[in-house]
Amino acid sequence: MITNGGANQARTRAPRGRRATWIVTAAVAALLAAASVATPAAADAPPRVGIVCTTSTAGSPGQPVFDLTTTTGYISLPDGNTAFMWGYSNGFDSFQHPGPVLCVNEGDVVTVILHNTFAEPVSVMFPGQTGVLADGVPAAPELDGSGVMTSLTPTAPAGGGTVTYTFTAANPGTYLYESGTNPEKQVRMGLFGALIVRPTLGADYAYDRADSKFTPSEEFMVLLSEIDPYQHQAVEEGRSFNMNTYHPRYWLINGRGFPDSIADNGASWLPTQPYGALASVYSYDATDHPDPGLARYLNVGTEDYPFHPHGNNGTVIARDGRPLEGPGGEDLSFEKFAINIGPGQTWDVLFKWYDAESYDPVTNPVPVTVPSLANQVIGVFYSGSPYLGTQEALPPGTQSLNQCGEYYIISHNHALYQITSWGVTMTGPITYMRINPPTPNNCG
Amino acid sequence: MSGSAGFDRRQFLKVAGGVVAVAGGMAWAGRVLEPIAASAAAGPPDLYFAGTDGWIYLPPTPTIPPYHPDVLAPNPFTTYIFGFRNVSGMTDTQRQNQKNKAQHSAPLFWVNQFDPAHPVDFTVQLTNLGLALRPDLFDAHTLHWHGFRNVIPFFDGEPTGSVSVPAGRNFTYVYRPRDPGTYMYHCHVEDVEHVHMGMTGLVFVRPLQDGNTTLYPSGKYLYNDGDGSTGFDREFAMFLSEVWAEAHWADAHIQLPEWSDYRADFSMINGRVYPDTIAPNGSIDPFNPQYDANGDLVAPAGHEQLQYQPHSSLVTCNAGERVALRFANLGFREQAMTITGIRMRVVGRDATLMRGRDGTDTAYGTDTVNVGPGESYDVVFTAPAYQGPGEYDTYFLYNRAFARANNLAPGGFGGAATEIHVYPNGVPAQAYPNDWGI
Repeated sequence: MITNGGANQARTRAPRGRRATWIVTAAVAALLAAASVATPAAADAPPRVGIVCTTSTAGSPGQPVFDLTTTTGYISLPDGNTAFMWGYSNGFDSFQHPGPVLCVNEGDVVTVILHNTFAEPVSVMFPGQTGVLADGVPAAPELDGSGVMTSLTPTAPAGGGTVTYTFTAANPGTYLYESGTNPEKQVRMGLFGALIVRPTLGADYAYDRADSKFTPSEEFMVLLSEIDPYQHQAVEEGRSFNMNTYHPRYWLINGRGFPDSIADNGASWLPTQPYGALASVYSYDATDHPDPGLARYLNVGTEDYPFHPHGNNGTVIARDGRPLEGPGGEDLSFEKFAINIGPGQTWDVLFKWYDAESYDPVTNPVPVTVPSLANQVIGVFYSGSPYLGTQEALPPGTQSLNQCGEYYIISHNHALYQITSWGVTMTGPITYMRINPPTPNNCG
Repeated sequence: MSGSAGFDRRQFLKVAGGVVAVAGGMAWAGRVLEPIAASAAAGPPDLYFAGTDGWIYLPPTPTIPPYHPDVLAPNPFTTYIFGFRNVSGMTDTQRQNQKNKAQHSAPLFWVNQFDPAHPVDFTVQLTNLGLALRPDLFDAHTLHWHGFRNVIPFFDGEPTGSVSVPAGRNFTYVYRPRDPGTYMYHCHVEDVEHVHMGMTGLVFVRPLQDGNTTLYPSGKYLYNDGDGSTGFDREFAMFLSEVWAEAHWADAHIQLPEWSDYRADFSMINGRVYPDTIAPNGSIDPFNPQYDANGDLVAPAGHEQLQYQPHSSLVTCNAGERVALRFANLGFREQAMTITGIRMRVVGRDATLMRGRDGTDTAYGTDTVNVGPGESYDVVFTAPAYQGPGEYDTYFLYNRAFARANNLAPGGFGGAATEIHVYPNGVPAQAYPNDWGI
C-alpha cells in the first residue's frame, strides 16, 4: 500500500515553482520506468505503472479478508486547488483516493470488514456481486421505523461501528465498490474503488475465455470520476448542500487530473492519490509480444464519459463484469475508438498498437519531407524524429521529456469541456499510451 | 531532462495543450535543422487545407444576450468560428485571401482504402493562415484524423506528442488508410477550444470491395462485408456539432469561457441548423473545389448567409433505393438521431463492421441512433415505397434530445434536424456524397 503522507500530517504546500519542478522531474522519472507490472506481493512496493493490486494479507487461500476504514483527506487538483474527500483506506492506513484496488480470484469467498470513523452511518455496495451477506445475513436495504429506506445495504454505525460483508466472487471481471448510504453525498465524496476478480483460466486472462488473454505487464485501470468543489466544501464545513445545484467542475482519471495522471503510481508529491494512469506498452510482435494490453474502464460519475484512446481501436470484450458473448458462446465483442461508458458501468477493453508502416529513417523513411523543426511548434513529448526509437536534436532551448525515442499517444475524454479543471483547459481525464521502442532500446 | 529553472507547472500545462512552445523554442531563429530527405515527396498533395477564423450564420432569434448574435459579426453572419478551408489548387494570393474565411463544418473528404497491391499514399497538406480577429492568440493548428488506427504520433496531429503548424507554415500528413469506415477529423491544438470553435469535419474510407457489382448492384459499400449487407445506392454524411454561443462570443471578444458551464445552444448537422440543413449544397466536392476569383466560397443561390456553411443535409432518393447515412459527432453531448417512419440498420460503428471476432453478425435495426461525442455510426435504410400525392414523400431526421432540435425557440423544429425526400423515381445518381442528384 502507499503509505506516504498521512491524514494526521499537516498538509503543507510547497511554493508553486518548487512544487512544479518536482512534478516535471517526477514526470521524467515516470517515463524512465518502463517497468514490468508484476503484481507486488509486498504491498509497499507498487509497480510504477499499471494496476496496483491490493491483495488480502489476512484470511486463508480462497478466503481473502480485507479491512476498509473510512478516512478523510485532501487531493491535489490540476489548477492548484485541493479538494476535501472521504475515502475507504486499506486496512487502517491513512486516507487515499480512490479506494484500494481489491484483487481476488474467481470463486474466492471474500470478506470485507468496514470500520466507520465518521459521525454518520456508511456502507459498501458491491454492484455485480450476488448473495452478499452483511454480518451473516442477506444484505438487504436498511429501513427506518416507518419503512423509509435509509441505506441500500446494511451500514456500519456511526462513531466506530463495523459491518462485515461476505460474498463469493463467482464471476471474473471488473467491478466497482461504493457506498450504498446517502450515495449522492458519500459516493461523490470519494467512497468508491475498484474490485478485480481474476478468472480461473489464469491471471493473464480477463475472463474464462481464451480470447480474453492479455499481456500482464500491460494491464491498466481507467477509473473516471467528477467533483463539484462546492459539495466537498460544504461537507468539510459541516454545512448542508443543495443537490439541485450539483455541478461538476473537475473530472479525474484514477483520482488524478492531467498532468498528475501520468506520474508514477505512488508519486511522492501525490501522497493521497496513489494511482497513475500512464499506459506503457510495446508494439505488437507476433513472436515477442503477441497479446494485447487490457484497460479496465470504470465510471463512477453521473453521466456518460466518452473516452477516446488515440492510436488504435480497442476491442470491448466485456461490460459490467460479463463477457460479451451469445448463448452459444458467440463472440459479441466490438471495436471502438470512443469508449462511451455510462454511470456505474465497467468496460474491459483489449488494445494493442501495431507499427503498421514500420517507418525507419534508413530503410523506410516517411514518404514526405520532414519539415525543419524551426518551422513547427514542438510538443513536449516529441523526440525530434518521426521514428520509433530515434531521437533528433531539438532547437536550443526546446524542452523535451522524451527519453529514448518512445512514442506518446494520448487518451482523453472527448466531451472536451470535461478535460478542464474549473478554468484550466487541457487537464483532467487525459493520459497517454507510451509506446516503448522494441528491445534492445536506450530506455534504460 | 530533469526539470530546469523557469519551466514551471503552468508552462507545462500550456505546452501540453500545445499553445506555445517552451520558452525560447519559438523565438529561436538560429541554425535550421536540416530536413530529412524524403523518399516520395514529389507532386502536390491530394488535398491542401488551411486553418483560420471566420463567421457563420445561425438563426439570430431568439437572441442570447449579449452573446448571440455577436455584435462584431459582419452582416449577414452571427457567430465567430475557427475552421478549415479547402485551398487545393489555389494561387498563393487566393490562398492568403482565405484568412478570416473559415467554414463549418470542415470540408467533407474521403479516401480509398490503402491497397497493398497498388500502394498509393494519401496526403493532406495543412497551412495556418492565422486568426484575423485574434492575432494575439498565434495558435498553431494540426489535423487529427480521429480514429485512424496505428497512427504514428508524427501524423496524428496531437501536438504534445509531435509537432503542430504555426501561422504561415506548412505540414503534410500522409495516410495509408487500411480500415474502411466513417471517421472524423479536427484540430487537436487546444482542442477544448479549437474543436468547439468549429475546426471539425467528417472523413471516411471507401472499402476495397467497392466495384464488386455481384454482392450489390451499385458496387458501392460501407465495408468489406463479403455479403453485400453494407451496399448502398446513395450516401450522405451527417456530421454533428454544437455551438455554445457564449464560448464563440468569448473568443471574438478576448474573453475566456468557463468550460464547465458548457451547454449546447445550437446543435447542427453538417454545420447548419434546420431548415438551413435542407438548403442546397455549396461547393463540397473536395477534389473539384469551386471558388470565385479571390478564392472565396460561393454561397448557394438565394442563401447568402450560408456562404461558409456549404454542406447540405437533405437526403434525396428514389423509392426502393438503399441509402447510407454516416453519422459522426464532435459535439460535446450525446445526440439521439431519430427517423420517423423508416427503420435504420446499424451496420458499422467507429469505423468497424458490426461483426464479432468470430464473424457473428451484430448489426441491428433501430429508429434512433445515439451518437456520443467522438463516436461514428454507419446506417443503411431502404427508401419506402412512394405514397404520394406530392412530388416526393417527406420523412424527418431529427435529434430526439428535443432541446437540441429547436434552436431554443419554442414551438417549432430547428437545430439538428433535416428531411428525407423519397421520390417515386427519376433522381439521377450522385456525383459525390451529399449530392442531391437533382
